[in-house]
Amino acid sequence: MKWVPTDIETFAKSPEYVDTAVIPLLPVSFDESIKESATMAEFTTLLTSQLERQLQGRILLIPGFSYLKAKKQEALNVLVQWEQEMLDKHFKHVFFVTSEYDWKQHEASLKGTLLWIPSLPLQHMDEKSRVSVMEDQVRQLMNLFIQKWREQESV
Amino acid sequence: MSENRVSRRQFLNYTLLGVGGFMAAGMVMPMARFAIDPVLKANAGGDYVATKLKVAEITTEPQRVDFTFDQVDAWYESEVTGTAWVYKNENGEIIALSPVCKHLGCTVDWNADESNPNRFFCPCHMGLYEKDGANVPGTPPLAPLDVYPHQEKDGILYLGSKANPREGA
Repeated sequence: MKWVPTDIETFAKSPEYVDTAVIPLLPVSFDESIKESATMAEFTTLLTSQLERQLQGRILLIPGFSYLKAKKQEALNVLVQWEQEMLDKHFKHVFFVTSEYDWKQHEASLKGTLLWIPSLPLQHMDEKSRVSVMEDQVRQLMNLFIQKWREQESV
Repeated sequence: MSENRVSRRQFLNYTLLGVGGFMAAGMVMPMARFAIDPVLKANAGGDYVATKLKVAEITTEPQRVDFTFDQVDAWYESEVTGTAWVYKNENGEIIALSPVCKHLGCTVDWNADESNPNRFFCPCHMGLYEKDGANVPGTPPLAPLDVYPHQEKDGILYLGSKANPREGA
């Protein structure tokens, strides 16, 4: 489900089925890494929206979490609060999706699952390969989700 | 010349007739247009989209078919990719099922769960559907999968751009 009123209405009707929140982490910077940040943000946004299409019945896609790349520590502090709020309120699983490798070293501070997917230069691909590449990525990501859900159900 | 002279009375008659005619036409035309409008309207949802699948290639095993069409949403037009599971049933009829789970809209997959072979499986909440799209009782979905209308033209499979709920279910 997306963060739009129609989806949220469905969510409000049957919240017991939606136990997973997905937060795309979108870097913003204005130095020499500006282009890289944009690529990462685009890729992450696209990937999570495709993922949402496939698994929309169980995940709620939170609006992208944009942060200043240079202020990672501050971003992390805020993110921890977001996560806590979501876990307290309703969700059993929280997933963070990012293309920026730096987040990996902060993984321990987060309770949820951090998924790092290296971004691909989509702008250099033609439409067809773009779609098939995205599909492969989404399929891999989906399996991670399903695996996580299974783990919890078998406990 | 002089015999053909138009009298003042005749001239006024013609003028009135002409103007009156225009006015009457102005009133009747829109009404006529409204009256026949349903006939002129493009058949809503009746647009068929060509897939890349040849009818001869359809087997009894469901296969994934992607097709793209343009969709206009208010002010912007986007290319939408539709997906269908297509197969021939034992009577040789073509069935095109929508992959959208009737529970909460996840995408179902054919034969994806080891413990439930030859069924459509929804990974979100373990929903199951039989091959014909009927929901398996005891799993979350409450209705059978939607069915795409289909057509065959020049050996190519055409699918409707909108799946409809199965009748009599």
